[in-house]
Amino acid sequence: MNNLTHAIEIRQLLKKYPGFLLGPVDMTVPKGAIYGLIGPNGAGKTTALDLILGLGSNDGGEIRVLGLDHRRDAVAIKQQTAYVGPELNFALWGKVGSAIRFVRGFFPDWDEAYCTRLQKEFQLDAGTRIATLSFGAKTKLSLLLALARRPRVLILDEPTTGLDAISKQQVFAELLKAVEDGERTVLISSHGLGDIERFADHVGIINRGRLLLEGRTDEIVERFRLAEFFTGAGTAPAKVPGLTMLRQDGDRCRALVDQSSGAMAALQSAGARQLSLTPMTLEDLFVALVKEEA
Amino acid sequence: MSVERKKMILGPISPAAPGTLYQQIVDGLKREVSEGRLKPGLPLPSFRQLAEDLLVSVITVKRAYEELEREGIIYRRQGLGTFVAEQGHDRSREAKLNAAQTLLQSGVREAAEAGLKPAEILELTRQIIKENH
Repeated sequence: MNNLTHAIEIRQLLKKYPGFLLGPVDMTVPKGAIYGLIGPNGAGKTTALDLILGLGSNDGGEIRVLGLDHRRDAVAIKQQTAYVGPELNFALWGKVGSAIRFVRGFFPDWDEAYCTRLQKEFQLDAGTRIATLSFGAKTKLSLLLALARRPRVLILDEPTTGLDAISKQQVFAELLKAVEDGERTVLISSHGLGDIERFADHVGIINRGRLLLEGRTDEIVERFRLAEFFTGAGTAPAKVPGLTMLRQDGDRCRALVDQSSGAMAALQSAGARQLSLTPMTLEDLFVALVKEEA
Repeated sequence: MSVERKKMILGPISPAAPGTLYQQIVDGLKREVSEGRLKPGLPLPSFRQLAEDLLVSVITVKRAYEELEREGIIYRRQGLGTFVAEQGHDRSREAKLNAAQTLLQSGVREAAEAGLKPAEILELTRQIIKENH
């Protein structure tokens, strides 16, 4: 199992709802990575994460988590996978300490020393009533309960939404610590694209139920540029693969260009002048890619 | 607020500074080596530890280490870790000289395009050196 290079492998995953189709999706999360799954609201992120967790059944394709089949080996997967979602409801358990004791009982790999350190780091006192915790503190409690199990795979559905900058940084610092031994993997969905660009090793961009793109964050960001150029005589350039026109003003054009395609050479041979390329942030790239599909 | 007492192996990196984070790590470590704060033979943190310390993705640090290794500034020993190379100091100095040369070249080109004569470019350079000292 240690020779495994992929923590999660998804092939041709399909899920149909009335009015929504996820897939077919192919997705690969390398072991030891922090993988950021990004997409607009309603793109299918939560559906995909739920299916990986074995919530709901897929209509096609396969999911392997740590080399295990998500249906046949559902129990083994659940033992090694933890989840933090947007619905936080621990208030029933009363105090922070009771919630910890309750969850601890289910997991033989529970790391008490780690739990204690996280409680200190996140300032979660055992005696505090959960109902009185701030939103951010509840998220941290949820993360603590997941991390202290020492899962091999940690799945986080928008854990940083609504967190202040300090809490967000604490969360990412802990996630980086969690993957430090190279054996544990984090799959995180988030709208905080600046955070994802900084902290995630890999990203997948999902839109309208399809994975548009996935790969190393740095390689994806460097692959695309914002190109500006002038065409001859006010004509729009012919359709060039790898080039998405974003704006045009007379013969002045702005476009998203995929440098791994032949778009640059095609542009030049089509007579584009004063071609300049500007690097983009993941956020700019995301907006341009998703707009293109709209 | 209390000042954190913690080992610092390179200067700050920030998305607000010029260059990608990975390039900033490469440049930052080169500076430490060329200025003698990181001495030959010294072990460097694992890239996962450094990622955690700098709060950047593991791949960012990994890539920086790979580049420094290619340039002969650091070296990796299987199972032991990553170390500053014996010739790391010369190599980073060399790399810095190359970078300086490129920057000076483009500075001279800009100045010439702005219509400065060679003597005026030299005078401008002298002024800049004076301001920086």
